[in-house]
Amino acid sequence: MTDDQSSSTGTIPHPQTSVAPNTGVTLAPVQSSRARMTEYIIGILALVGTVATVWLGLWVTPPDKVQGDLVRLVYIHPGVAWVALYLAFGLAAVSSLLYLWPRTRSLFWDRLAAASVEVGVVFNVCTLVSGSIWGKPTWGVWWVWDARLTLTAVLLIMFLGYMALRRVPAEPEVRARRSAFVALFAAVDVPLVHFSVNWWNTLHQGATVLNANLSPQIHGSMAWTLLLGFVALTLVFVWMLLVRFRIGVLEDWLADNELDLALAERQSEGAGLSDKSPTNQGGAA
Amino acid sequence: MTTAPPATPSTGGGDTNAGPPLTGGASVPARRRGHTARYVVVGLVLVGALAFVVAKGLGSALDFYLPADQAVAQKATLGTKTFNLEGVVAPGSIRSTPGGVDFAVTAGTTRLAVHNTGSPPQLFQADIPVIAVGHFDGDHFASDQILVKHSSTYKAEHPTRVTAPNGSSR
Repeated sequence: MTDDQSSSTGTIPHPQTSVAPNTGVTLAPVQSSRARMTEYIIGILALVGTVATVWLGLWVTPPDKVQGDLVRLVYIHPGVAWVALYLAFGLAAVSSLLYLWPRTRSLFWDRLAAASVEVGVVFNVCTLVSGSIWGKPTWGVWWVWDARLTLTAVLLIMFLGYMALRRVPAEPEVRARRSAFVALFAAVDVPLVHFSVNWWNTLHQGATVLNANLSPQIHGSMAWTLLLGFVALTLVFVWMLLVRFRIGVLEDWLADNELDLALAERQSEGAGLSDKSPTNQGGAA
Repeated sequence: MTTAPPATPSTGGGDTNAGPPLTGGASVPARRRGHTARYVVVGLVLVGALAFVVAKGLGSALDFYLPADQAVAQKATLGTKTFNLEGVVAPGSIRSTPGGVDFAVTAGTTRLAVHNTGSPPQLFQADIPVIAVGHFDGDHFASDQILVKHSSTYKAEHPTRVTAPNGSSR
């Protein structure tokens, strides 16, 4: 009864559980305790940093001379954009380049690029949404088609295209290669977004920290809170990247072993039926 | 890097005297890898060129506004065409009207009167850069929308104010 239940309910074993050795299925990759601990610590630090940023940003820092309390979005919006543009899409571009480069070619870089893009897309959406929320009371509009905003939206669309491309059925190497080219092409938009406020007349203000003189135009507790926000959101990115990468490894394992798993399941079902069939026939007779 | 030290300095054309190295059958995947690397380099150059063309070629097409001094200089060309005008709100020029607000913007030495219909955003004030959406109407600019273009500088409203442990500030 117990054996029967375990074979019928275990349609797809959890990736972290082991599979019976006589099924011929490769064991799922299991996260080492050290990696698990690293992921856990980074997650905790990210949470603490984010909570501290929100607390400082909302209750401790003073209102701005011009914007008043509207300035408080500065502790989130630029940090979110920093993660999306420079960390996530930057890492995706570097990883894609390392995949395309023959000496460093490995599906590791492809997985890292894919994970980075996916997290970057989340942060890109957050960039547009938080900017829009900030724009309405300050600029007076939710959205304008200036160069900075438009190019950021284009960036999002291109990386959504990257994610869609990865869903097209193909051999892992083919998918990795075409994805890498698309990631590199899309990443060209990152410097365009960065310099758009210098190259063209935009409604969006210039850079506060990463400006031409690298002299932050923000002071005191406001500056420290902004910095903490950057660090906290960077930690959030690293944590999300680690988790997404791990999921990517498990997804690849599942894709590689899908057929073997299905066969193993069918065999176990068959074994269960053959065990039961004489009893059943006897009962019917 | 360390496995293939250059036999000759890379400045001249002395790279053909040794002939192709006899690497046997292993040269096929190596050649394919070399081709891929070349494609990557060519691709990057093309993408870089595309970025340059986009940045330079589109030029002012991506400009969201025209500063007031440039707009006044191009007044004859602009005619009554609607565009986005940018300038700093002149101190003492803001006057509420039944339909909106009148004010003047400055850019360099240029000063231009703006008649706006509708209420401006909450941050609208003297000495702040704004963008007015409208057109020239005689000697002034008639707009129906104002956008506030705030700066990227952030300063505390009361920099010397301190917060006491009980939460009150002075």
